[in-house]
Amino acid sequence: MTVEARPENLAFLAREFLTWVWFEAQRGGGGVHLDGVGRVRLDFTRRLRLESPGVAAEATAVAAELPTLADEARVALQTGKKVASTTLLLDVEERHFEVAIEAETFTFRGVKLPTVLGTSDGERLDERLALLDELEAVVDGLYVAFARQRLDRQAWPEVRAAMHRWVARGGEDDQPTN
Amino acid sequence: MALQSGSISYMRLVAVGEMSDAPEEAWCAALAERGFMEIDPTGELQESCGWVRFDDAFESNYMPHELIGPGGVVLLRMRVDTLKIPAATLKAHIARAVRERSKALGVDKLTRTEKDAVRDEMRKQLRRRSLPRMQLIECAWNLGTGELRLATTGRRLAGLFVDLFEKTFALQLRVVGPQGVLWLRGLSAEELDALGALQPEKFHLSSGGPGLGPQPGKV
Repeated sequence: MTVEARPENLAFLAREFLTWVWFEAQRGGGGVHLDGVGRVRLDFTRRLRLESPGVAAEATAVAAELPTLADEARVALQTGKKVASTTLLLDVEERHFEVAIEAETFTFRGVKLPTVLGTSDGERLDERLALLDELEAVVDGLYVAFARQRLDRQAWPEVRAAMHRWVARGGEDDQPTN
Repeated sequence: MALQSGSISYMRLVAVGEMSDAPEEAWCAALAERGFMEIDPTGELQESCGWVRFDDAFESNYMPHELIGPGGVVLLRMRVDTLKIPAATLKAHIARAVRERSKALGVDKLTRTEKDAVRDEMRKQLRRRSLPRMQLIECAWNLGTGELRLATTGRRLAGLFVDLFEKTFALQLRVVGPQGVLWLRGLSAEELDALGALQPEKFHLSSGGPGLGPQPGKV
């Protein structure tokens, strides 16, 4: 199997994924556990764009320090829109990343990496590439975890029901955990 | 300098095809063959695209012993120069030149042929006075995984890169999107097929109904 043999028809899944990240981060008290990585703190920041599906898609764009707290974002969820793009802050141990992800293409924009300590250009570049590896491992790892959960006939109905309740409450969790 | 410092915007691609075990010599020759060529301001070419060294935008020679870096990563940089006179600038200069030529010839209007000659002359003059716009697109290619990080999200530049890369290395590049990521991270063909058969969820509807869509098989 090759990538080119399969059309890129999973944009809807990537939008569900980014919406699920919002849900899971809130349910997990601002973070999630990722196998092989540990606890990742996740915050939505700067920009959040939600879109409804279909050819006549409607969009809601929120620009704010904490966009998921905006009423527009919560109303957009309740009217069936899903996250099409957003900027995420990720804390992995002591390392702090920022990345804007677009669901349609899975491109990363405006990636900000932790400060590197290398003294030469080569060392700094190697460090930055390793940090990009780490960032991708986290984002891709979350996406794979979501995709596998989505296929799980036992697990997914529970998650879906919880997300229904979460959306109905306007994106607020009734059982915060820490 | 996107990969080396500052914030980065990038797209992911994967190289598909057969690679020899020790390709450095052949690749360096291929990179040199498609190395960047400066635009001749006296000519007609508006855009030039080719490889330059990762550490020097004016040098095209890659060295075999340093081509593949630590971790099996090849660092590439594509340079795209564009020498194009902005339409409004060209129009204003032509208008002035036509006025001056008319005055010099003592006529009210120039013929079409005379105007065309003025236009060509102005375009050449302005090209000689202009500097091309330079764009440098960096790429880190991990030979172990076949994955590339291309430090642009612009479709036109990405298209130029893909074309140049495929011609240089005789490999094919595929953009890694929401499906390609899952494939690269180990989901099986059966899992991808099952995901492709899913219907989008409607999280705002509490009935629960259509969300799972066709049930996947064994995963």
